[in-house]
Amino acid sequence: MGLRERLAGRRVFVTGVTGFVGEALLERLLSEFPDTQVVALVRPRGSHSGMARLERMTRKPAFAGLRERLGREGLAARLAAQVRVIEGDLASMGELPADLDVVIHCAGEVSFDPAIDEGFATNLGGVQELLRAVRAAGARPHLVHVSTAYVAGLRSGHIAEGRLAHEVDWAAEQASAARARQAAEDASRSPENSARFREQAEAEHVRAGAQTVSAQAEAARRAWVAARLVAAGSERAQVLGWTDAYTFTKALGERYLEDSHGDLPLTIVRPSIIESALAKPFPGWIEGFKMAEPLILAFGRGELPDFPASPDAVVDIIPVDLVVNALLAAAAASPPPPERPAYYTVCSGFRNPLLFRDLYDYVRGYFLADPLPRRGRGHIGVPEWPFAGAVAVEAKLRRGEKAVEWANRALAHAPRSERVRRLAVDLERTEGRVAFLRRYSDVYRAYTKAELVYVDDATAALHAAMDPADQVDFGFDPACFDWRHYLQDVHCPAVTQVLRRPRDAAPARRMARNLTAGEGVLAVFDLDGTLVSSTVVESYLWLRLADGDVGERARELVSLARALPGYLRAERRDRGHLIRSVYGRYAGADPVELARVVDEVAADVVLRRVKPAAVRRVREHRAAGHRTVLLTGAVDVLTRPLAPLFDEIVATGLEVGADGRYTGRLLSSPLVGDARAAFVDHYARRRGADLSASWAYADSLSDLPMLRTVGNPVAVNPDVALHKVARGAGWPIEEWPSTPGEPRLMVASRAERGLFAAAARARVAAGGLSGSGSGGSGVVRVEGGEGR
Amino acid sequence: MQVRPGFVLEVDERTPPLLVHQGEGLTLERFPLGTRVVYPPESLPGVADVDAAIAAALEHPFNCEPLRVLLRPGMRLTIAFDDLSIPLPRMRRPDVRQRIIEQVLTLAAAAGVDDVQLIAANALHRRMTAAEIEHIVGERVFRSFWPDNLYNHDAEDRDNLLHIGVTDHGEDVEINRRAAESDLLVYVNVNLVAMDGGHKSVPIGLASYNSLRHHHNSHTMLRSRSFMDHTRSEMHSSAWRMGRFLADHLKIFHVETTLNNACFPDRYSFLTRREWEWSVKDQAMAYGMSRGLAAMPTRPRRKIFHDLLADYQVTGVFAGETEATHDQTIASVHRQQLVEVDGQSDVLVVGLPYVGPYNVNSVMNPILATCMGLGYFFNMYRGRPLVRHQGAMILYHPVTPEFSQLHHPSYVDFFSEVLAESTDPATIEAKFEKQYATDPWYVHLYRTSHAYHGVHPFYMWYWAAHGMDHLGDVVWVGGDRAACARMGFRAASTFADALEMVSGTVGRDPSITYLHSPPHAIADVR
Repeated sequence: MGLRERLAGRRVFVTGVTGFVGEALLERLLSEFPDTQVVALVRPRGSHSGMARLERMTRKPAFAGLRERLGREGLAARLAAQVRVIEGDLASMGELPADLDVVIHCAGEVSFDPAIDEGFATNLGGVQELLRAVRAAGARPHLVHVSTAYVAGLRSGHIAEGRLAHEVDWAAEQASAARARQAAEDASRSPENSARFREQAEAEHVRAGAQTVSAQAEAARRAWVAARLVAAGSERAQVLGWTDAYTFTKALGERYLEDSHGDLPLTIVRPSIIESALAKPFPGWIEGFKMAEPLILAFGRGELPDFPASPDAVVDIIPVDLVVNALLAAAAASPPPPERPAYYTVCSGFRNPLLFRDLYDYVRGYFLADPLPRRGRGHIGVPEWPFAGAVAVEAKLRRGEKAVEWANRALAHAPRSERVRRLAVDLERTEGRVAFLRRYSDVYRAYTKAELVYVDDATAALHAAMDPADQVDFGFDPACFDWRHYLQDVHCPAVTQVLRRPRDAAPARRMARNLTAGEGVLAVFDLDGTLVSSTVVESYLWLRLADGDVGERARELVSLARALPGYLRAERRDRGHLIRSVYGRYAGADPVELARVVDEVAADVVLRRVKPAAVRRVREHRAAGHRTVLLTGAVDVLTRPLAPLFDEIVATGLEVGADGRYTGRLLSSPLVGDARAAFVDHYARRRGADLSASWAYADSLSDLPMLRTVGNPVAVNPDVALHKVARGAGWPIEEWPSTPGEPRLMVASRAERGLFAAAARARVAAGGLSGSGSGGSGVVRVEGGEGR
Repeated sequence: MQVRPGFVLEVDERTPPLLVHQGEGLTLERFPLGTRVVYPPESLPGVADVDAAIAAALEHPFNCEPLRVLLRPGMRLTIAFDDLSIPLPRMRRPDVRQRIIEQVLTLAAAAGVDDVQLIAANALHRRMTAAEIEHIVGERVFRSFWPDNLYNHDAEDRDNLLHIGVTDHGEDVEINRRAAESDLLVYVNVNLVAMDGGHKSVPIGLASYNSLRHHHNSHTMLRSRSFMDHTRSEMHSSAWRMGRFLADHLKIFHVETTLNNACFPDRYSFLTRREWEWSVKDQAMAYGMSRGLAAMPTRPRRKIFHDLLADYQVTGVFAGETEATHDQTIASVHRQQLVEVDGQSDVLVVGLPYVGPYNVNSVMNPILATCMGLGYFFNMYRGRPLVRHQGAMILYHPVTPEFSQLHHPSYVDFFSEVLAESTDPATIEAKFEKQYATDPWYVHLYRTSHAYHGVHPFYMWYWAAHGMDHLGDVVWVGGDRAACARMGFRAASTFADALEMVSGTVGRDPSITYLHSPPHAIADVR
């Protein structure tokens, strides 16, 4: 009797149909076993019911052949007729039919490093829920449990099929894992940890203000909890002799079934590393990236210089369709007696071993023959691995991590410029690569340590027992294919397909263009660094050095130079403090005189330094009917030259004392960090503006809260920290170049200052003598003759 | 001393590499055999006693009473003077305008005039800084009048403009109210080239946009053949009509001056000498500067050039009624600059110097370079252009897309927005001019900062209209490719490449004329 006949008229419950193996299994059942009833466990997602999700799934490439054969409607009809959906998941399965003949349990947590509680909940709790639901329904099906070959853990040599030899108490482990989250949550709230998170957040985000720091600290705490749970899983696994939390929890799931299946026949199928299909549903079918693909792609992109594996280790890979066939064969076979569960390892290592060296040679050969395109610039060359050994690779990786760390630290202190930002992007990429290497090197270390060979005699016997015709249609003999063919003609082309697809021309960087006209829209601009290339200290100098004689200027410069290190520290810690300390130096200055200096001298400097793109953008916003707001910590008189561009200017006011001179104190707290966000929020409310349609432009991390309050934040010539945030958030990043050739620091020439002084004196003299107002001054005769 | 006239050299085997200006740089170029090189006449000697010449001119004006007679107590006297766009480079102190103004003021004081104001006739040019004004009028005048009675004309100050009327061609005549309502307007000019002076002084220098638009537009500029010959320039005709109309309403006493060709200081004398007469020192200077400037960073290089002061000598002072005076002035300019050239050629080559009228103490951006090349140098002719119709022009300039935000804010936008849409003068005039001319931000910058008026880049583009219309091909040697392309031109790395590029227009063996300037030369093409 063939497989089809054996399964005909039977009712099969499948979990995990939306997963990689489950999807392939469902496709096989729909296309080859029309007389087999399928019950599928599907979790409804959002507005999609379980059935709707299945219907959507049949639009995927795996079902293309079937769709072609049956037609779209035919497939829908087949699905409706053959499949019944049970809505539920591994935590709660709901009510199962009583007449189940077979259960194929494909669902599970497949990530290597799940949080310990999640790993247990899925891989052990899921099995428990399955047994509960089956028993509650009063069904007596044959349980076919999909596990993994790697449940064997860290062993060497040949691993036979059968019950694992270990004495780990699954119940105790499960109970501990369930408590782990609460413990981690509690620990993360300890005063020591709270302080640590806050300090970390402050180090990076202090300029953005307290709210941002808090948010960052809380995010860091959550990340810490997550990392701790992952570490708890993998450390516990390794101390008990498993590679990672995945194989550990899978092994305990098996043990639970062995202990608790009672009178239900139990078959455990243990595939090794499942990769793309050899033939069905079509050669090279793969969904998502599994274990080897990221490495293959990284290698093809030339980003993987070496790998910590011994060249003669066996890499046990099995195509997914072979696994599906073995599952079907196991399900169709007569159930084993309840007291003696059956074990089938589906693997290639014993009968058709693939050595790491061969894998490397085939993949490298593939990329040499057909390299990946480098966008518009030829092709990417692949490296040659020296197989230097785990220690050397680890050392290299360490060096890389150190280098990235130092570079990051250096960049954080680098002055901002387009080059630095480009460097930051490059570094981010390098950082990603190093992190990728670290992750995979850690994940695979355990696997490469385990130099073992799985023996699949029982599976071979199962295969041999099949009809010859079924051996052709549903075969799972791992020796039936050639690795060179599989890797070079099937797998690698499928994996790299995405990268070879001709890409559309790079979409233009999201520019704040084509502003939608509208009332109730704000456009908020920062001044220093965004509109004008300058700093608080610099603009102070413009004003102070514009007047005074040489000695005064020298004294001012010397005293400023002395204070500068302190200012730089303040700039990094607290902008408000910087503004206060710099503006304290205005003490004793005459407001009228300062306004005059701005109009006559500093205005030129400001206008020279203002960025043309900035002015154009402000004007575009105005033309679109938006309300333009200038928000700055700069002293208010300095904004005078730009006043006509803005509907509202919020700057720092200086207090005027009883003597009519500046006291050096501010009229109110400087508007920095969170205060800007609060201001924008309040201002929008007062004006009835729509913040979600509004715009904000800023250049520094300290403006992060303000940028976050609006719907259209734009990072302009950002510092490294803001650049990172903006890239992460997908905000537009714009380069507004300053006009080249304009000197950085410019004060009026001595000649000019002398002229102003002379003219002022003359005015006083003329006024004093003639007493007349403007118009006819009475001074016609040219004075004196010493001017020649 | 006998001064040698201008002449046309034909390049032969013995001709050394010739000096070519290239923005803030110099090159020595070996031109193909047979290239004609137009050299201006050598510098004429100046008048021996400038103050005496001024006094004489004021006392014996053309077609007018002596200035002394025109002055009386209680009158309103306004003195207007040319702004910093002429002469170029700036004149070493004392500026001839200072000497004239001082004499006029002395006469006025003697006559008991006590209502005097001095106005820089900068039209839509940028406001001059105090130091710039002081350089022109001198320290003593500056000290006495600045800032209340010595100031820049403000073409956007509605209250201080007076619409006087309309010419028989329907052109609005609107000028500075103080000048228009004065009993006497004395205009002090420097007639650097033949284009300046005459009725171009008052009706343009003191006018508003409303008035300027009648002659500063793509239509009249296309029909000004050339700007250097006011009898054949439609722009000048319009200004002349306005000037004559104005003369009926306002007493104008014109003082015009002409300078010789000594436009560089003595230590750079090689710049004005003919190459085959260079001393060893001159050769070393030329070689050293051409190499040294190329290696220098922008800022010091710019400073070297903009700090240059010319040792001009005054070749003539003429005063009186505008047209009668101007005839004398033009004759004097021609004596210094006119060169007879026999026929047109296929290719005209010019090297653009570092400064033009609109980038004093600033940077010559691509639009100004275009105006300088196709507007001014191309128009340095009388009769027929130096290059035949549909011929090619090859210009030396880096065309760096660099703009002064302070001086040329509207240029930045003109370059990136207007030229991106069209380079045709008439098209951009119709589509964009009004918007730029009335833009409140540009107006604000023009009035309060040191920015050229918003409409100014359009005028620059119109200046080039005749050249663009006449020429078949324009190639910039050493020009920034993107900037040239934006303006509708092409860039070449070398002169040889440029010739290769224009060969499609003028053939493989074109006749070439190199206009060796500065100093200025007007080609009288027969």
